[in-house]
Amino acid sequence: MSETTEEMRGCVIPKDLYYRVEDHTWVRVKEDGTLLVGMTDVAQSMAGPILHVKARSAGTQRDRGKPLATVESAKWVGPVKSPVSGEIVEVNGKVTQDGGIVNKSPYGQGWIVRMKPVNQQAELAEMLTGEAAVEAYRQKIEKEQLKTCVHVEGFDGET
Amino acid sequence: MIDGEGKKILVIQTHGVDTPRRTYSPLFYAMAAAAMGMEVMVWFTMDGTNQLKKGAAEKVKLDPTSDVTLKTMLEQTMESDIKLRVCQQSMALWNMKQEDLIPGVEILGATSIIDLALGADHVMYY
Repeated sequence: MSETTEEMRGCVIPKDLYYRVEDHTWVRVKEDGTLLVGMTDVAQSMAGPILHVKARSAGTQRDRGKPLATVESAKWVGPVKSPVSGEIVEVNGKVTQDGGIVNKSPYGQGWIVRMKPVNQQAELAEMLTGEAAVEAYRQKIEKEQLKTCVHVEGFDGET
Repeated sequence: MIDGEGKKILVIQTHGVDTPRRTYSPLFYAMAAAAMGMEVMVWFTMDGTNQLKKGAAEKVKLDPTSDVTLKTMLEQTMESDIKLRVCQQSMALWNMKQEDLIPGVEILGATSIIDLALGADHVMYY
């Protein structure tokens, strides 16, 4: 486990990402100002083996909290809620072809959409990162009695 | 993907715990619609009413290797902000009262289904 990553109950929480813990989503700020958005290790474990990821198309405007994508597993279906307001500029075609990539690499190859934010500074300030994110997830895992994260073979928890 | 965001979906469930294989899917589809941003309601009538009786849903488990039961599915449905409604007259036929229902379900008179169906953008009937 690297210095930038925390692990609790087997769940990987990279400290260099921004999180909306309540929605199990993460954001990575790219050099070009766009944001990559995905679901956390906790979320992929709760979902189980993901069968399909259906994302809204590029060009779609999203307010924070609105669904960016729908994720289906054998036992669960739910939204990936947008952690920020903005426009979807790219959908990760790899995960829409193979939802299992989200299970395998939730923070790396399993990013779901790229967004162009409209209110980045303010909205990122309301998200958690670093130790604060880790602590918030620790509390959520304890409070909701979430199970130890399950990882598929070849799991990569790096960003 | 067709954009159904904001649309109203009414799911009508007429099957209950006696036909367990007909219980999960309507709830799953309801949750899928909610995940896509639609406003969803599930109306339970006929045999569907008995799913909502306290103590009934946890006994339905389609996959013995999983910890998911019909109770889990109903809870997840409500957590997805999907409204659950039950037909009052069906409840009477099943000798059920308000206190027999699981929490979170609202009782409506039978003719409410007419308004609900007319007000929905689409009705899914099981």
